[in-house]
Amino acid sequence: MLRIEEHPILTFEKGKLVTFTFDGKELQGYEGDTIASALHAAGVKVMGHHHVSGRPRGFYCAIGNCGSCLMIVNGEPNIRVCVVPLEEGMVVETQNNRGDLL
Amino acid sequence: MREVDIAIVGGGPAGLMAADAAATNGASVLLLERDGHLGGQLVKQTHKFFGSEKQYASVRGVKIATILEEKLQGMSDLVEIWTDATALGLYEDGVLTVEKGKEFVKIKPKRIIVATGASEKFLTFVNNDLPGIYGAGAVQTLMNVNGVRPGQRVLMVGAGNIGLIVSYQLLQAGVEVAAIIDAAPTIGGYLVHASKIRRAGVPIITSHTVTRAYGKEAVEGATIVALDEKWQPLPGTEQELDVDVICISVGLSPLAELLWQAGCEMRYVPQLGGHVPVRDHHLKTTVDEVYIAGDLTGIEEASSAMVEGRLAGLAAASSLGFKSDSLEADILDCKEQLKSLRSGPVGDHINQGMAQVMLDK
Amino acid sequence: MYLKTGVADKELVSNALPTEERRASGPYAIIECFQEIPCNPCTEICPFGSILPMDDINDLPRMDYDTCTGCGLCAAICPGLAIFIINESYSDTVASVGIPYEFVPLPQKGDVVKMMDRAGEFVTDGKVLRVVPNKKYENTPVVTVEVPKDKVNEVRFLQLKQEAEVAMPTADPNDEENLPDTTIICRCENITVGEVRKMIDQGYDDFDELKRLIRTGMGPCQGRTCRHLIMQEISRKTGKKFEDIELGAFRPPTKPIQLEQLIGGKEDV
Ligand SMILES: Cc1cc2nc3c(=O)[nH]c(=O)nc-3n(C[C@H](O)[C@H](O)[C@H](O)COP(=O)(O)OP(=O)(O)OC[C@H]3O[C@@H](n4cnc5c(N)ncnc54)[C@H](O)[C@@H]3O)c2cc1C
Ligand code: SF4
Ligand code: SF4
Ligand code: FES
Repeated sequence: MLRIEEHPILTFEKGKLVTFTFDGKELQGYEGDTIASALHAAGVKVMGHHHVSGRPRGFYCAIGNCGSCLMIVNGEPNIRVCVVPLEEGMVVETQNNRGDLL
Repeated sequence: MREVDIAIVGGGPAGLMAADAAATNGASVLLLERDGHLGGQLVKQTHKFFGSEKQYASVRGVKIATILEEKLQGMSDLVEIWTDATALGLYEDGVLTVEKGKEFVKIKPKRIIVATGASEKFLTFVNNDLPGIYGAGAVQTLMNVNGVRPGQRVLMVGAGNIGLIVSYQLLQAGVEVAAIIDAAPTIGGYLVHASKIRRAGVPIITSHTVTRAYGKEAVEGATIVALDEKWQPLPGTEQELDVDVICISVGLSPLAELLWQAGCEMRYVPQLGGHVPVRDHHLKTTVDEVYIAGDLTGIEEASSAMVEGRLAGLAAASSLGFKSDSLEADILDCKEQLKSLRSGPVGDHINQGMAQVMLDK
Repeated sequence: MYLKTGVADKELVSNALPTEERRASGPYAIIECFQEIPCNPCTEICPFGSILPMDDINDLPRMDYDTCTGCGLCAAICPGLAIFIINESYSDTVASVGIPYEFVPLPQKGDVVKMMDRAGEFVTDGKVLRVVPNKKYENTPVVTVEVPKDKVNEVRFLQLKQEAEVAMPTADPNDEENLPDTTIICRCENITVGEVRKMIDQGYDDFDELKRLIRTGMGPCQGRTCRHLIMQEISRKTGKKFEDIELGAFRPPTKPIQLEQLIGGKEDV
């Protein structure tokens, strides 16, 4: 379990439970999560594969700087999921190409 | 085009203090922050800060952010705050372009204070692109903002203050830290930080670096190796560590894109973390309208970032003719505080760096 | 070394300690802040002025032990968590150490905790005397623990015992009471300690005999997992020294193999 339940300094008030899908699978996160933090808490580390080398990719900076976390969200490619708040019903997919719109 | 006396880019400790100082002297302020909330690095800092009372010593970073923000909220007639607003460009004619939410906005401020902070440096080693290798800032965000642990067992690369503090925060979040390694022969961060992690059982291994991460889809382990005096790997000293996270904390470099665009003169100063703007004693760059503050002027601390922010805010306001009775005294106080913060051995390299970029000696 | 390891050298610590006389006379704060950094809250908080004012914010903190009462405020406020409160004056055998502790769960008064040194190595057990939450000082609790007197300036961290450890604290493994009869001693053949004890009581007190009678050590592990445990049990019940007990014969094969392999086996592989 990766969620912190008890912390000596901080208190984490969990928001509402939010359901979304990741590559077709139903997952849950909380209001206040970013897409990346919800995926990570659900055990998803691989967010896509590099478009040339095919190597797995996860997030790196978590503040929208590095572009390592690009995914397809609600059909829209190249979304930096580390800075996008999670919303109910979001459709999140791994992106294994450059994310050109069809 | 939107007009304002002073636009401030960056809502970290430097930007917040600049806004406060400028508005207190009567200038109208527009504060831009690309994140959804203010505070910059402070919101991730759960530890108590050093410094003296004036710089909120012994208060936890996250609380300092709240204190500064509340101060600004009391001045809403003069201070306008935009979050989710990223400054995209700063042109030589002084126009600032901003992406505000999904809108694109142009601003023409009379003065601009850039306080964009810094970005994290990275490191080269085999498989350094595997999921599970994160910047220290990312680990902090995930852990202290989202309440999610990065993994079970972490190798921390870098024993500067950030590496030490993030390790401590990992322990507090219930994550095991396998080791903290650093290529340098000695610990770079404050020894009191080092000691509190050491006594919790985390080894700090100097003169070591990471050479390889392994794992198929994500990190499953790391190889570390000892370095000789010339920082070359010593064959035969490789050790495998069983970790699922490698956290990289090998330093920051000033985030100065906007200053390059505006045509400010920049110099490479290793002591300050990279390319930094040339400035005068009031933190004005070589472009008259543009002032600077915080980590962008050279990687330091929140304590000095706050004082610099205040100084830049005061100076920018005063250049526009906004002058309170205490202005001169306030400016002097800022300079005194900076001098005292930088007077110890830790400040030596900062002072050496500053000497290379000061216009007026 | 301090600069390499983060563990303060013994000399640094002993130089920071007050005189023997002062140590014996009442509680005191020891400041383990040995590097010049821009920091001074400790000097401002002390109600008795015992931490002397600094000329420069980078100065090292200095103590006036004559006036320090060991009140603990400095330990609560220090952002480096570098101050500890020591009391060596109330007993000949035990002393107490107050440690700033920012972890959950917090220990409770009366808990027995593990005490670690500056390098995180276990030194001794200690008993928690009190926990002051210090809400006013940014919630850095100070936990005061009683330890053997000669260890009080060695221990600087505490660790809660894991639940399993709490259940069986410093239990002597040779104590029959701690190993109920129902405990499985031979996993392969599912034989309990009780069955083994019964046989030993009847006089069968050698490994090979037990093996023939109740099949302990006859399974796939060939006694690797259980031989030791069974011999411990024999030693306990008979009072024989562990090293004097016959280990029993080790017969091939050392690993279960299929009969086929035996039948069709080649001479020299
Ligand atoms: C782990 C860690 C521990 C630390 N511990 C301490 C400590 O104990 N004591 C201490 O004094 N200091 C400490 N610091 C250092 C301190 O946090 C920084 O020095 C300080 O935050 C710098 O302030 P700043 O305002 O210059 O930059 P930041 O805090 O980085 O703020 C910059 C802000 O600008 C925003 N921004 C950037 N680009 C744009 C743009 N184009 N448009 C709009 N907004 C933008 C960013 O989102 C950010 O919010 C620590 C730092 C870290 C990482
Ligand atoms: S323990 Fe109390 S009296 Fe002693 S130095 Fe600390 S604050 Fe002062
Ligand atoms: S408050 Fe703590 S870290 Fe700061 S100078 Fe005093 S003892 Fe050192
Ligand atoms: S992880 Fe760097 S942009 Fe998302």
